[in-house]
Amino acid sequence: MKVLDVNNSQFQAQMQQEKPVLVEFWAPWCGYCRRIGPAYDQVAQQYGQDVIVAKVNIDDEPALADREGIEVVPTLVLYEKGQAAGSVVAPDSKAAIDTFLQSHLTKKGED
Amino acid sequence: MASLYDLIIIGGGPGGYTAALYGARSGMSVLVLEKLSAGGQMGLTTQIDNYPGFPEGIDGFSLGQQMQQSAERFGAKTLLAEVTEVSLQTPIKEITTSEGTFQARAVILATGATPRMLGLEGEQALTGRGVNYCAACDGMFYKGKSVAVVGGGNSAVADALLLSRVAEKVTLIHRRDSLRASKIYEQPLKQADNLSIRWNTTVSQLLHGDRLTGLALQDVQTGETSDLTCDGVFVSIGRSPASSLFQGQVTIDQAGYIQADESTRTNLPGVFAVGDVRTKPLRQIVTAVADGAVAVHYAEEFLAQSH
Repeated sequence: MKVLDVNNSQFQAQMQQEKPVLVEFWAPWCGYCRRIGPAYDQVAQQYGQDVIVAKVNIDDEPALADREGIEVVPTLVLYEKGQAAGSVVAPDSKAAIDTFLQSHLTKKGED
Repeated sequence: MASLYDLIIIGGGPGGYTAALYGARSGMSVLVLEKLSAGGQMGLTTQIDNYPGFPEGIDGFSLGQQMQQSAERFGAKTLLAEVTEVSLQTPIKEITTSEGTFQARAVILATGATPRMLGLEGEQALTGRGVNYCAACDGMFYKGKSVAVVGGGNSAVADALLLSRVAEKVTLIHRRDSLRASKIYEQPLKQADNLSIRWNTTVSQLLHGDRLTGLALQDVQTGETSDLTCDGVFVSIGRSPASSLFQGQVTIDQAGYIQADESTRTNLPGVFAVGDVRTKPLRQIVTAVADGAVAVHYAEEFLAQSH
């Protein structure tokens, strides 16, 4: 699966999904957002079965970013049934994204 | 059983990918273990003008991607994995990562270094938006603007002098009452009339909106606080080599750099260190790249002898 580039209305539609949704809030001027790009693409491929992987350009969707309380890019937020279940700011490795995702997905499995 | 490679390279910066290119071209099976994306430190540099061959310059992220593609064209593989443990003292070396365990006959350590950060809130997010760690890389963006430099060693003073030729106003912020920098800088410092020094001062806060707008400063003797308005700050308080994984196996100097001469050979047979993590006088993309080629030359020699 590829990373879905979503705008505000597409974001709202994804929030209705059964599957958890991972969203990267990013901006074109953010160098670090670019650096995590290759790892984020791999995350989309690897977890695509269980998680919808998307990204939101905060310059295009400032109101959405504001509503979601995004102050720093890149911020990755995992939504479950439309609710933010957790977030990670500027992860320093693909392994850090894996750890973040897996901790939430296992927790869900234990419920 | 873990997969066995002729050569495993830890770190996908310019040194690592040059070694991968040379290794793959000489017929070795090569795996690069990179934790995030190709390029390493230069991945955050917006404009590189001191790597020859690019008359208009190039951004560091693209250069990293291109180095990766060059190596992969000849069969080198990349795995985005974080190395958690290494065992380098045996003929077959073992590397444990977030994606499994791998074995190699030779290993190149190319983990690089990171500029030491101030450790202030918002610092990472403001990197590239007013917070900088390399005056030679990003100084030109501050033409006619006001900047601060934090530090008191040779590189901080050299940065401040470089910036004084570009920026309108430079403030050097140092936590002591004298510089650690060598005497040769005294005269040029006095002559730079747009450069002032704030002694006994530390930065307590980064002031910002979308980007940096200034610094909150504190006098370490009186405790008095003040704000300094500036368009950018250059943090020059040293570097931390990423060598802690190898502690106790390869020889590491007091500052944390892996001990190796121009041959890139460490104290362990079949283990080489390239780029910024190695003891060396000049840490640049071009010198890291050169190390990568040299390391493969000696790795080939090592593999030929041990077969």
